Amino acid sequence: MLHNRVKELRARFGFSQGQLGERVGVTRQTIGFIEKGDFSPSITLALKLAREFEMKVDELFWLEGEKTS
Amino acid sequence: MKKDFRVQYPLWQMAFIVLLGLILFSVDGATTEFIHNEDELRFGTQFPPLESVLLYGSIFLTFLLITIFSLKLSKHNKQHPDQKLSMWQIRPIEYLEQDEGMTYITRRASQKVYTFFVWALPFMAVIYILFEVPRFWMIFGILFLAWMQYLIYYVEVRRQLKEEDE
Repeated sequence: MLHNRVKELRARFGFSQGQLGERVGVTRQTIGFIEKGDFSPSITLALKLAREFEMKVDELFWLEGEKTS
Repeated sequence: MKKDFRVQYPLWQMAFIVLLGLILFSVDGATTEFIHNEDELRFGTQFPPLESVLLYGSIFLTFLLITIFSLKLSKHNKQHPDQKLSMWQIRPIEYLEQDEGMTYITRRASQKVYTFFVWALPFMAVIYILFEVPRFWMIFGILFLAWMQYLIYYVEVRRQLKEEDE
């Protein structure tokens, strides 16, 4: 299962789900699915999200049991 | 999102299927008369009172729904000029494909519908082979499967969107 810090970072950057979705070109619902961990985004979307949060993809997403930071 | 025309589209299809079922019931209850002799050649159909009311009522409601459906469709197309829909498009209107998250929901719902058909079609075929099912009930069975297909799809999409909202 893929884990992520999207919710935490979105709050830190002060974005709503809709605003973040708009910035990376997806719907608010898709951001919600990612935050809940139901849905693994494509590499393209993961890269866009990482760029928005100014970090590497593997700092934003990681596999279960593999978080290093 | 839940009020999106594409999300509500299965409900429209379900309503049309119910109306088609009522028309089928009315037509099934009709008596036909075919006279062919030296003096005359005549073909007539008579509907009992209940079937007659149902038939004309269903046809009227069908046209009414088609009109409202067309208006809703053009409203959607005005609001989403980049995601225009057509009544005659080959791809099902209910597909949500604005982005990968919506495509994910569509895939989940479509899988459920596919699973339903994998079991329902052979089951129905066996019923039709084993029993002498009248034509009315055969068509009714097909309509029922079509109705269930839209119900399963709609419930799954709604569930996904609802969970996301919570």
